[in-house]
Amino acid sequence: MYTGPLSSRANCRFVCIGLPLALCWIIGLSLPSFGSDTLEYNRDVRPILAENCFACHGFDKAKREAGLRLDTTEGAIAKLDSGEVAIQPGSPDKSALVLRILATDDSIMPPHESGKKLTDQQKGILKSWVAQGARYDKHWAFLAPKKTPLPKISLSNDDDTTNPIDNFILAKLETEKLTPSPPADPVTLIRRLNLDLTGLPPTVSEVDAFVEAFQQNPDSARRDLVDRLLRSPNYGERWGRWWLDQARYADSNGYSVDAPRQIWKYRDWVIDALNRDMPFDQFTIEQLAGDLLPDATDEQRVATGFHRNTQINQEGGIDPEQFRIDSVFDRVATTGTVWLGLTIGCAQCHDHKFDPIEQKEYYRFFAFFNNQDEPELTLYKPELNAPSLIAEQKELEVATRDVVSNAAEAISKWEESLSEEQKKPLSKEIQKLLSSDKAKRNAGQMRSLYDAGPGATDEKFQDIQKRLKEIGKLLAEGVSTLVMKERPTPRKTNLFIQGDFTRPADEVTSGTPSILPALETNASKLNRLDLAKWIAAPSNPLTPRVIVNRVWQHYFGRGLVETENDFGLQGTSPSHPELLDWLAVQFVEQGWSLKELHRLIVHSKTYQQSSADRADLREKDRGNYWLARQRRLRLDGEIVRDVELAACGLLSPKLGGPPVYPPIPDGVMSQGQVKREWKVSKGEDRYRRGLYTFVYRATPPPALNVFDAPDGYSTCTRRPRSNTPLQALTLMNDAGFFEFALALEKIIQTEGIVVAFRRCVARPPTTEEVAILQSLDSLSAARALLNLDETVTRE
Amino acid sequence: MSNETFLQQQTRRHFFNQCGIGVGSIALANLMASASQGSSEDVSGNPLAPKPTHFPARAKRVIYMFMAGGPSQLDLFDHKPMLNQLNGQPIPQSYLEGKRFAFMDSSHRINLLGTRRTFQQHGQCGAWVSDLLPHTARIVDELTFIRTCKTDLFNHAPAKLFMNTGTGQFGRPSLGSWLTYGLGSECEDLPGFVVLQSGPRGPRGGSVLWGSGMLPTTYQGVPLRNQGEPILNLTTPESISNAQQVQVLEAVRKLNAKRLAETGDEEISTRINAYEMAYRMQTSAPELMDTNKESKETLDLYGIKDPKETSFARNCLLARRLIERGVRFVQLYHTNWDHHGGPTENLEEHLPSISREIDQSGAALVMDLKQRGLLEDTIVIWGGEFGRTPMGEVRESTGRNHHIDAFTMWFAGGGFKPGTIYGETDEFGFGPVDHSVHVRDIHATLLHQLGLNHERLSIRSQGLDFRLTGVQPARVVREVLA
Repeated sequence: MYTGPLSSRANCRFVCIGLPLALCWIIGLSLPSFGSDTLEYNRDVRPILAENCFACHGFDKAKREAGLRLDTTEGAIAKLDSGEVAIQPGSPDKSALVLRILATDDSIMPPHESGKKLTDQQKGILKSWVAQGARYDKHWAFLAPKKTPLPKISLSNDDDTTNPIDNFILAKLETEKLTPSPPADPVTLIRRLNLDLTGLPPTVSEVDAFVEAFQQNPDSARRDLVDRLLRSPNYGERWGRWWLDQARYADSNGYSVDAPRQIWKYRDWVIDALNRDMPFDQFTIEQLAGDLLPDATDEQRVATGFHRNTQINQEGGIDPEQFRIDSVFDRVATTGTVWLGLTIGCAQCHDHKFDPIEQKEYYRFFAFFNNQDEPELTLYKPELNAPSLIAEQKELEVATRDVVSNAAEAISKWEESLSEEQKKPLSKEIQKLLSSDKAKRNAGQMRSLYDAGPGATDEKFQDIQKRLKEIGKLLAEGVSTLVMKERPTPRKTNLFIQGDFTRPADEVTSGTPSILPALETNASKLNRLDLAKWIAAPSNPLTPRVIVNRVWQHYFGRGLVETENDFGLQGTSPSHPELLDWLAVQFVEQGWSLKELHRLIVHSKTYQQSSADRADLREKDRGNYWLARQRRLRLDGEIVRDVELAACGLLSPKLGGPPVYPPIPDGVMSQGQVKREWKVSKGEDRYRRGLYTFVYRATPPPALNVFDAPDGYSTCTRRPRSNTPLQALTLMNDAGFFEFALALEKIIQTEGIVVAFRRCVARPPTTEEVAILQSLDSLSAARALLNLDETVTRE
Repeated sequence: MSNETFLQQQTRRHFFNQCGIGVGSIALANLMASASQGSSEDVSGNPLAPKPTHFPARAKRVIYMFMAGGPSQLDLFDHKPMLNQLNGQPIPQSYLEGKRFAFMDSSHRINLLGTRRTFQQHGQCGAWVSDLLPHTARIVDELTFIRTCKTDLFNHAPAKLFMNTGTGQFGRPSLGSWLTYGLGSECEDLPGFVVLQSGPRGPRGGSVLWGSGMLPTTYQGVPLRNQGEPILNLTTPESISNAQQVQVLEAVRKLNAKRLAETGDEEISTRINAYEMAYRMQTSAPELMDTNKESKETLDLYGIKDPKETSFARNCLLARRLIERGVRFVQLYHTNWDHHGGPTENLEEHLPSISREIDQSGAALVMDLKQRGLLEDTIVIWGGEFGRTPMGEVRESTGRNHHIDAFTMWFAGGGFKPGTIYGETDEFGFGPVDHSVHVRDIHATLLHQLGLNHERLSIRSQGLDFRLTGVQPARVVREVLA
């Protein structure tokens, strides 16, 4: 039963790429032939080999069976120990591969015990591919993306297409004989754009204004709206959360003890960087290696918090080195997944089975991240000259110490001169010190005694103390955050046998996988900054593709490459390879501007289509791979909260700052090993956007968790969208959401049901809908509105 | 279609099939018919609907008593007279070479520690059980002991994760999630995977221990709470009457159904049904927790004094009630077995008291299931994330350190061979003499009993097929199966 979906996936892919499966079946062999159609290795053949063969006949030397390697021409045509040749290009009958996949006895490949089985179509493809000469191509994702000329589309579709995205999508729809859907109506469109770009619903007046403007000039209305939303600071909040998922951001240390940590300055850095539209290459470099930039600013150091979002094990009895290594493993895997879309982490214990990454290369990558200290950085208000204050503080401390260390005699004299009566007005601390053993007093205690005694009349000393207190107070306003700091002397990095840090093998130096463009440098040793620049170089074929794909995924519920975290050989091929490449190149040409990328996508007709399902599409493209319509998407957990808060009017517009504690059900915090305090925030902090809610990794906030918000244990590049009874219970009964219902009830009472309805879903209700809601008391109507599927869905 | 899409479709049609029996389902069916415009609606994709097994199953469900902290097998099950003879002497160096332990730099010691417990053989099978577990001793002929369990990680949170998910890495599905994913649930108004907790604190690691990893959250464990409402947000807000609640649900259903007709989005029908199941849960969960109808005999059997008080004993009874209602996987966490020595966690005082907390009720659960004919196809598991060292640890009072090379777990029912003692440890109980049983082997064996091939039960993520047993070899321990 579990192979079902996998094989149906393979089928689906072949149907989708339009292979003529109905071609003649060769009598006798019973296999479909692809004789006249040229098969493409990456598109048609590699997925079959990767799925069924590479595990034993692929890149991993250690697991290679029969000495056969099928992922390269050299390997495939080499003479095997058995004397056979796996592939004799042009001669299927002389190719062991073909004979073995067609075998009917125990020699069949893949072997029975693998649980894998080729379909007749797959066998036919392999056979025809060998017959056609068995041409291998480099994996598409490792080749530089290129802009191909925009595909021409027929006149019927080309009314006024100006957005290149639509050329690619429409051209494909034409081949598939599908028609695009009509544009969404302006009300749906403004709500869609609002939610996608800012995570907040439009207000009723914004909707009305947009509809009016749209009637006059749809183009300028759309343009103005998108410009306004991209300028809104809420844009950074919405897309900041997109990035924070990938950064595995949360507010606690994880593992069992799960103590709170302070790293929200990093979260605010992300929001701010996105709002300023920091070019994505710079955004990358600052997060991976901001501390290594020349004259690194505090902000750039804060950015390195990206890789401080790993967990810290505070359990007793641990070997700290083990968990330091674990966090480095996580940094390698996360970097690989987030920027390169590669499962580099798979090569931790052995050569990668599917992608050309050797274990040694893994540890060369690892070496980049094996050389940091993990300190805190304290930040002060810009108007505060902290460095000079800290220097002054140091100076004054030295002066104080000098005075006190020369005052032992004076203190002693003063102490002896005191009568019991004279001691009484002194502070308790001093009284206690006076009765302590003179020989055992430390510098701090001597200082207190001097201050209370002989120093009380030492004006200069008192001035110094006053100033020290002032400085202390000013510096206490600083906020700390976790950052990376390169060690002056690098740590040695070894390959670990089986990924076990107690079994170090050969020493390695830092370096990048050889399958990707080389890291060019004059430096003798490469550090994180070199790595960061290499990742964000325009010549890196993966980074721009991976990022545009992940942005695309946000808008359509699925990336052009469905396996958004795996662009390697096991990943799915892009549905629109030319579009993906065009977008990737465009992204880099536009200075890595995320805002321009958003603008490009949301101004496409493809994006602006109606999301309603159609009978013909259900039949021909149920999965909506060809995008003949938009798709309804349930909102992310945080946005569910935001939309409901906005609808009921309680939403606080406050940006950034320390995480907050909205009400959560009793007992949630006692689920972890250590019961953590959850002091419910007061005032507007009770009603902040979801992304500001404090997240304990071990006991995540249930109202977010139940809607699939990630818990920050590892990088999350795509959230699942589950739809469960626990979500229903949350929206119906959770005290927090009930409070929103009470607020919305007031709106119903003062402004009427229509306004309340529109605050939730933007569109006006039908008379029937009004009738249903008006049959309820106003609180029930408010609760119903906040529970509608439409309220928590982007249409 | 990728597997992930497949899962989303399942999620989308969550409960669609079996939940279509609530209010207005006929109206809904009509709406669906018009919305789908003649296309035949596939409604078989309910992710929690019972699913066919890979081969005939011996067991249908699991109750897993997780002894959080790592119980000392040397003071409970693995009788080692040599420990007492050589008490205080260092364990031969050959045992320690290449080994790592928790607390290496502080309290870890190498001197052997004898046990103060008295051991006797019990039952026909002659299993050794110490005086701490008199009730368990009485039922040994129902149990299958594996004394050579082996795990890889020796700190609590990672080891618990390992025991539950087969890896110390985060983001993988737990055993209960794999089972509800692989088998579905036979319960229409309770979650398929339920977690119960007792003891002074929650288990180290928290919700990730029953997380669904890369599987949809549909499959994640739902903790039933001991205090207040058993499931979060189960109770209608205080000021709302049942009539109002029903009215709201009815209005939501009608409005959602209209939207469904408008958009044709199957996700809406899933949501309609999720609301119906949520409403049913509002009744079924409190009914589950209400043990008033249990006879005094039953309460006595489990040793439950006050049915309202949270205890391991009450959780054992609830586990039976959950199983009776078709729940697939019930996991009972009981803390704290971390007996290092020290004022609150030593072997003299605290091991006996926690043993008392679990002994009678654990044994009672097995016998109660047997009486009701449920033991046949229910697997009961007893064990922690690791065991404890033969060497003593010196803190303020005596204890033992974490130990991963050989520790004892027991199994009952579900086709395990009753009255079996499997695996022999060396004279100190440090390592296996024969038949080491790795966590992966335990997982493979459990899945096997439930009709699932551990190499076939997989989920595709990042281009790889992830399995509970991972990529290292795992074997079904057939010797312990009937």
